[in-house]
Amino acid sequence: MPIISRGFRGRRQEGPPDRVPPGQYLTDDFPVLSAGPTPHTSLEEWTFTIEGGAQPVRWTWEELQALPREEVTVDIHCVTKWSKLDTAWEGVSVDTLMDAVEHDKEYALAYCDGGYTTNLPLEDLTGGKAWVAYINDGEPLEPEHGGPARLLVPHLYFWKSAKWVRGLQLLDEDEPGFWEQNGYHLYGDPWREQRYWGD
Amino acid sequence: MTVEERVLDGNAVGGLLLELFGVDLTAAPCLCGSCGAREEVARLDVYVDCPGVVIRCRHCENVMITIVRGPERTWVDLRGTSMMEL
Amino acid sequence: MRTLELDADGWAGHRAGQHLDVRLTAEDGYQAQRSYSIATAPDDPLAITVERLEDGEVSPYLVDDVQVGDVFEVRGPIGGYFVWDGAEPEPVLLVAGGSGVVPLVAMARHRARVGSAAPMRLLYSSRTWDDVIYRDELETLGIEVVHTLTREQPPGWSGYSRRIDDELLREVAFPAADGPRVYVCGSTRFVDAAADGLVRLGYDPRSIRTERFGATG
Repeated sequence: MPIISRGFRGRRQEGPPDRVPPGQYLTDDFPVLSAGPTPHTSLEEWTFTIEGGAQPVRWTWEELQALPREEVTVDIHCVTKWSKLDTAWEGVSVDTLMDAVEHDKEYALAYCDGGYTTNLPLEDLTGGKAWVAYINDGEPLEPEHGGPARLLVPHLYFWKSAKWVRGLQLLDEDEPGFWEQNGYHLYGDPWREQRYWGD
Repeated sequence: MTVEERVLDGNAVGGLLLELFGVDLTAAPCLCGSCGAREEVARLDVYVDCPGVVIRCRHCENVMITIVRGPERTWVDLRGTSMMEL
Repeated sequence: MRTLELDADGWAGHRAGQHLDVRLTAEDGYQAQRSYSIATAPDDPLAITVERLEDGEVSPYLVDDVQVGDVFEVRGPIGGYFVWDGAEPEPVLLVAGGSGVVPLVAMARHRARVGSAAPMRLLYSSRTWDDVIYRDELETLGIEVVHTLTREQPPGWSGYSRRIDDELLREVAFPAADGPRVYVCGSTRFVDAAADGLVRLGYDPRSIRTERFGATG
């Protein structure tokens, strides 16, 4: 039994249970979580590639910008327990990108500048559930928050919304990415509180 | 504060390592598995603003140690460290 | 700032420069943890000095709310690298940025307690004169203290009034040839800049020990 410290409350805001998953607290700011130095890739060098299909498909920054852009407002939930409601993003739906790819795969591993990876079933990246987002709150996505572009997959814990995303590797089987290799749940549904292996 | 300003060093995880390994590791030299640099744990770059603790080589930024604390278990990945001297 | 004296069951003593971890548990089980450097010399009662950070979660509690008799969990002492035991004869240069002075003052207090003859000099960077911690005591410890006040100086101030740079270090630091040991503590930016500056002055990088303080409160 840990010792209770009289009067200590911490600084947490509870939120409406239909919007805030179990074990989460609301935050007003946008915490920067990072496992390494912030990469800085110029837009001239930046590309997004989907490989593992019949052939690799690649977009430059200009080509990505030319694709249909969607505006979405979503709630996001970080496994470190903060949730932020009504966050505004703009980007390209992963459906739009996957439409250009011929494949027979079921899983993907997102890979990023700086070496970060995270895995997702393709079912969770399509059907209007995921974007490659490059605008947040009306402004170009800041490097600290994953700019120039990050994955946005709000229905899963936010570690799946990979910052500095540069592509998807399509796979036959689910392969754990960085955090998934280190104890975090392979899938990561905040509503079932799937934070760690075995949850 | 930027990410660069929030990076700490191995001193910051001295207590965590003491609890996990039973020994103070802050002065223990480690060899980076990627570039071979030899530094005490206290001189490694430590990122704590993430869903775990990520410890990187200050010279090549290779991930040397990752620690994730679950409610009942702790996962420690030492793949990026090729040697630790205790 | 507030200095808290702690009475810890089973505390085995500490070395100058070490820190401890404090863990607070709320009634609903919520926990928060922070590290604090030990401010006192090894032979003196255990105490930490906490800087109150405005948006902090733990420091406002420790500075504003904690009363004598309150309890919380501590873990430690921690640290085998950023320590000074007082037996070494080399000159010691202490470089402090803000609250980074806490572990360094433990070293200075220890030096006074054990009567070490090693020359010790503290270069202490603060924003204003009011931000200087242990301000009066520093003058009584038998070490040389050089302040620099980076944001605002009191009337008549004739000391340094800028951030540490190569020229300031050259004027204040021991000559590299004396083989001094250095302890630098403060924010990451402060520590990296000071350590790099000393290396440019000819200091052996292995002689410089650093401790980066976090911003979280």
